[in-house]
Amino acid sequence: MRHAFVRLSCVVLFLAIFGCGRVDRHSETVELWHWMTDRDETLQKLARQYEQETGVRVHVELFAPSDAYSNKIIAAAQANVLPDIFGLLDKKPIVASFIKAGFVEDLTPAFEADGGAWQAELFPPAVDTNRFLPGNVEGVKPGIYGVPIDLTNIQLVFNRTLLKKAGIAEPAKTLDGFLEQVATLRRVGVTPFVSGFGEIWLVDCFASNYAFNILGEEKVMRTFQGEVPYTDSGWIEVLRVFDRLARAGAFMEGIVTKGNKYAEQDFALERAAFAFNGSWCVNVYHDMNPALDYGVTTLPAADPLLPMRSWGGAGSSFVVSAHGPNKEKAIAFLHWITRRDQQIVLTHETYNLPSNREAVVALPEVLGGFLRTMAHTTHPMIWSHSEDPVVVEALDKGIQAIIIGDATPEEIAARVQKVKEQQLRKLRRPGGF
Amino acid sequence: MARDRSVILRVVQNMFLHVFLMTVAVACLFPLFWMVRSSLMSKAAIFTDHGLIPRDPHWGSYATAWVKGDFGIYFLNSVLYTVCVVMGIVIIGSLAAFAFSRLRFPGRNILFTLFVAAMMIPLPGSFVPLFVLMSKLHLANTRLGYVLCMINVGLSFSILLLKTFFDKMPTDLEDAARIDGCSRLQIWWHVALPLARPALAVIVVYNALNVWNEYILATLLLSDKSLMPLQRVLMVFNGAYQVDYPILMAGLTMTALPIIGLYLLMQRYLVKGIFSGAVVG
Repeated sequence: MRHAFVRLSCVVLFLAIFGCGRVDRHSETVELWHWMTDRDETLQKLARQYEQETGVRVHVELFAPSDAYSNKIIAAAQANVLPDIFGLLDKKPIVASFIKAGFVEDLTPAFEADGGAWQAELFPPAVDTNRFLPGNVEGVKPGIYGVPIDLTNIQLVFNRTLLKKAGIAEPAKTLDGFLEQVATLRRVGVTPFVSGFGEIWLVDCFASNYAFNILGEEKVMRTFQGEVPYTDSGWIEVLRVFDRLARAGAFMEGIVTKGNKYAEQDFALERAAFAFNGSWCVNVYHDMNPALDYGVTTLPAADPLLPMRSWGGAGSSFVVSAHGPNKEKAIAFLHWITRRDQQIVLTHETYNLPSNREAVVALPEVLGGFLRTMAHTTHPMIWSHSEDPVVVEALDKGIQAIIIGDATPEEIAARVQKVKEQQLRKLRRPGGF
Repeated sequence: MARDRSVILRVVQNMFLHVFLMTVAVACLFPLFWMVRSSLMSKAAIFTDHGLIPRDPHWGSYATAWVKGDFGIYFLNSVLYTVCVVMGIVIIGSLAAFAFSRLRFPGRNILFTLFVAAMMIPLPGSFVPLFVLMSKLHLANTRLGYVLCMINVGLSFSILLLKTFFDKMPTDLEDAARIDGCSRLQIWWHVALPLARPALAVIVVYNALNVWNEYILATLLLSDKSLMPLQRVLMVFNGAYQVDYPILMAGLTMTALPIIGLYLLMQRYLVKGIFSGAVVG
C-alpha cells in the first residue's frame, strides 16, 4: 500500500511538472470567445474558410453556459487579458461600463468607411442595437461598438393544426378577438398559450410590448425617468392584459414556473396553440418536431389604433478589444462574417435570421415570417432611457402574481410605484448610484 | 405470549424500516436509471415514449457523444485533474492537519480558524481575484494553475476533517514510534496516515467528486478547450437554445461511471470514515 502511494505520488509529481504546461498560441492569431453552443460548429467552419482565403488564423473558443461566459469576460477584463473578439451579454449599463473603461473598440470609423458601405449592408435594427446615440444617458461617446452577426425578434407563434381543430382560420389581431379565440380553444380542449414566464425577462418583454401599445414609447420613457407613475391608468391597463388572459384561462398550467426550454417543448409537442417566443425557436422546434405546422404573427394589440411593438434587433453581436494586438484583423474578420455569403451559411446552418440584408434568400417560411415583423421591433438597447433593474424585477414578479391570481393589477401598480419611489430617492441622494 | 408480541413488533418495525430504506434507495437510483434509459432513446421517442424501458434501444448516442464531444481528451484531462488535485489535497491536507494537531507553535489556533473560515467564502465570490492572481503569476490557462486552485478549494474541509481525526489518535502510539527512532515526518508517514485511512477515503471520494464535477472555475481559468475537463462536453450538449437529450444523457452516463466506480471501491472505508473517530488506534 505504502509503495503504491509513493509510486502514485511520483506519477502525480511527473504529471504536475511535465503535463501542466501552458497552451501558447501565436500572437498573430485572432482570438474569438463566444457562448453560442448552437453556432459553434458553423463559426469554426467559417474561421477555417477565412484562414484559407486570407491566411489569418481565427481561433474560436466556446464557453457555456452564458453566465459562466459572462463571469469569464468580467474576470478577463479586470486582468486585462480579453480576447480580440468577444460578446457582451449583459444589459446596456454594463455594456456602457465596458466601453467607458476603454475595453471596447469604437467601430464607427470601420462602419463609416467607403461611404458607410458596411453599415448599408446590414439591417438597421441590428446596427442600432449596437449604437450609442448622442446624449445617451450612459454617457458613452456616440458610436457603433458592436457587430451583429444575426437578427432576432420575439413574436407570437401559432400552431396551425390546433387552430384548425378549433375552427380558427387566422390568429386574431386584437386582444378582444384573441380572448374569444382562447374561449374557443378551451371548448375543444386545447391549451391556448404557453411561454417561459418562469424567466422574468420574457414577462418583461411581453409587458413592455403592451406598454408601448397602450401608453406609447414617450410615456414609457417618462415612466422610466420617474415622471409618470406606475399607478397611471395606462400601466394599470397593461397589467390588466395579464389579468384578462389569466381569467380567460389562456395560460398553460404552471406557466409562471416554466423555463423557456420547457415552454418550447410544450409548443413543439403540440400541447399549446400559441407561444410567445424568439426567432431562435425555429431551430429548436425543427429539432424537436420537424413536422410541426406553425406560423408567426405579432401579439394581438390591446389598442388596435396604436402600433404593436415587439423586442427585436441584433441577435448576437461581437465587440473588438481595444487593447488587443490584432484589432485590425479582428475588425476585418467581423466584416467578412457579416458579408452575404457567410451570412447565408450561418442562416441555413443555424436557422437564425441574417444581419445582412442581401442574405435573405430561400429562408424557411417561419423565419421569413419573423423577418417580416422586423419592421415593428424595438429593443431596450435602443431606448433613450432604461428602467432600474429593481423596479423591473418588482414589475415582473408582480405580473407573475397577477397570473396566478395572488394580486390585482391595482395592487401591483401601487407596489411597483413604491419600489420606483424608493429607487428614485436612492438615486437623488448625494453620491447615489 | 409477550415474547410473541415482541417478535411481531420487531418484524413490523423491520418491515417499515426496510420499506422506508427501499423507498430512499429507489428515490436515489431512479434519476440514474432515467438517465441511462433516456440515453438509449431516439430524439423523437424521448418526448413521446413515457415507458420505463425503451421500446427500441438506440446505442448510437454513446458513440455520437464520444466522437462529437471529443470525450477522449476531456476524459484524460479530468482524470489528470482529479488525480493531481486529490493527491495534492491528501498530502498537503494531512501534513497540515497533523501539524495543527500535534505541533505547538504561536498563532496555531488563529491559523487553523483562518483555514476553516476559508470554507465560508463561496467560490463565485473569489472568481475575479483568483483569475487576476493567476494571470499575474502566468498560471491562467495552464493545467498547473487550475490544479493549484482546486487544491486550495478542497484544503479547508480536508484539514478540518483530518485534524479532528488526528486529535483523537492516542499519543501512546506516537510515543512508541518515537522510541523506535521515528522523526515527526516518519510518524506522520508510518503511523498517522495508515490509521487515518477511513478519513482519507472520505477526503478522496469527496474531493474526487468535487473535481470531477467542477466546471465553472475551469471555464474561468482555462481558455483553451484542449485543457478543459469532461464537464465542458456536457455544457455544450446542454445548449443555450436546444438540448440533444439522448446525447446529453449518454454523455452524463459516461461521465458518472468512473465516479460511481470510485465510490464503490472506497465504500468500505467511506462508511468507516464517516462513523469513525472513537475507534482510532
